[in-house]
Amino acid sequence: MSNLKAMSAVRPGKERISNTMQALLSKPTTLISGFLLILIIASAVFAPLIAPTNPYDLSTVSILDGRLEPGEEMFDGTIAWLGTDGAGRDVLSSILYGLRTSLTVAISSALVALAIGLSVGLTSAFYGGRIDAFLMRVVDIQLSFPAILVALVLLALLGKGVDKVIIALAIVQWALYARTVRAAAMVERRKEYFEAATCLELSNTRIIWKHLLPNSVSSLIVLATLQTAHSISIEATLSFLGVGVPITEPSLGSLISNGFDYILSGAYWITFFPGIMLLATVAAINIFGDQLRAIINPRLSK
Amino acid sequence: MLAFILRRVMQSVVVLFVMSLIVFSMINLVGDPVDMLVNPESLPEEIDRVRRDFGLDQPAYVQYWKFLTGALSGDLGNSFIFGRPALALMAERFPATLELATSALIIAVMVGLPLGIYAGLRPNGWGTRIIMGGSVLGISVPTFWLGLMMIIVFSVILGWLPVSGRGETAVFLGIESSLFTLDGLKHLILPATNLALFKIAMVIRLTRAGTEEVMAQDYIKFARAKGLSSKRIVRAHLLPNILIPIITVLGIEFGTLIAFATVTESIFAWPGLGKLVIDAIVNLDRPIVVAYLLFVVALFLVLNLVVDIIYAVLDPRVRLQGEGG
Repeated sequence: MSNLKAMSAVRPGKERISNTMQALLSKPTTLISGFLLILIIASAVFAPLIAPTNPYDLSTVSILDGRLEPGEEMFDGTIAWLGTDGAGRDVLSSILYGLRTSLTVAISSALVALAIGLSVGLTSAFYGGRIDAFLMRVVDIQLSFPAILVALVLLALLGKGVDKVIIALAIVQWALYARTVRAAAMVERRKEYFEAATCLELSNTRIIWKHLLPNSVSSLIVLATLQTAHSISIEATLSFLGVGVPITEPSLGSLISNGFDYILSGAYWITFFPGIMLLATVAAINIFGDQLRAIINPRLSK
Repeated sequence: MLAFILRRVMQSVVVLFVMSLIVFSMINLVGDPVDMLVNPESLPEEIDRVRRDFGLDQPAYVQYWKFLTGALSGDLGNSFIFGRPALALMAERFPATLELATSALIIAVMVGLPLGIYAGLRPNGWGTRIIMGGSVLGISVPTFWLGLMMIIVFSVILGWLPVSGRGETAVFLGIESSLFTLDGLKHLILPATNLALFKIAMVIRLTRAGTEEVMAQDYIKFARAKGLSSKRIVRAHLLPNILIPIITVLGIEFGTLIAFATVTESIFAWPGLGKLVIDAIVNLDRPIVVAYLLFVVALFLVLNLVVDIIYAVLDPRVRLQGEGG
């Protein structure tokens, strides 16, 4: 009996996944935010194909096209729907390329943080005792500082660069994942299938990765979604302050920062449109993540 | 109780020490501050002289030992750029940051509290939907971009408010602040509102949750049965009961406001601590960066310590757990 339970508990099952999908598809809010999210990701992935110009190909960028208003025609006949910046780059194309950098940084840092957080959280929950107390103390201390500050400090110490920003954001986020994984795994530990697995004298690694992990994963998916939005925002802020990604690989934040120099002369579009894109991306992920949380864990929905 | 406090103080000291070690060793890996200090055409002898003058020719552990002994006697080193003690520079800039953070906190409460109470009293109303939708948006919008939009609308298009700086300051009751002059207030409105936006959404959510909880209590039902007006119920029964948790959370969040002020100060060229440290990071002015980081770490450790002590006083379970482990 206990064995049967173990089998069904270990695998979340197709049924549960399809139930979640059904719940996701039945609400208009989720449907719209999900659609927007797919659209945003697709335009980032296919940026080189859909962007009207390549803003970083110096042979096609002309200073003569500098600061065109939205809708004006550029020198080579392309229409700059969202205007051009001071160096004559098409704002729409820059946004599409910038979105790529922003999403790459956010998603890779989430994956690194997830890997660290998973290992720490599962170790903590499995071994307990002193190891657990020490690791959770470190997590507590780190979480008592605001994320933006930790990231700022790390970048002051690491220097500029896409890889540096990914490292900094991963260090900022791992503690949150570790705590969430530990909490979920602690609950699973008390269940019968875990006892069964221990009685069968399975190896520790096998119990951790094959039994604890799959059952603790649902709250992680929600956290990872919301954290991605958060880290897009942090990366943009850091790049705006001039300590994030270098100007050669601009993200949405650096584009906004670039436009900052022109707002006093009335050229609002250089900073306005990248900001709208940033807002739409973060809002779409936040709303989608909130809905996901409501479905996966109805008790936490408030 | 004393043992609990002592334990936590010791822990904070250890964290501060470890942080200073990490910060100091890592900052020595980034760039060469001498490059920023000398003219690129200087002679090699001159470069060596500058390096010696700032003690940068010594091995890192000697530099750290000097820093540590200096720090224990209250000297965090001189700024490379300004040539003055880092601590004195920070002390000069701190009042501006404090002023900004305090004003932001006041704005956040003044706007967030009424909206939160409204949303809590009418959970299904249209107004509530707009307020709560706005607060989701408020969490999503990166505040720095909103700051830029505020400049475009209020300074560039409407021309009502100045874009940057702190404006005139005046001394009142021994405090120098831009709160006491009209020009200073004009300069303060945009940055303070921008910094507050970040917290308004939080105040709204906290207040709404508190209101919903309190309104379901028996004493509110009794007050209603007694025939008290809604206004009076809100003022005499609701407000005092929801304010305490809100004030506690805001106290903890004050440190976050000071950290976030870095961003706001950079946008509005507000001459505070945050602007100082961002400039220092860009110019590789190590003493300032290290001093700022240790200051912020200390600030957070103290804030958390105070909160933990208050909780331990109020809730014996926390204390016992601390002593048991």
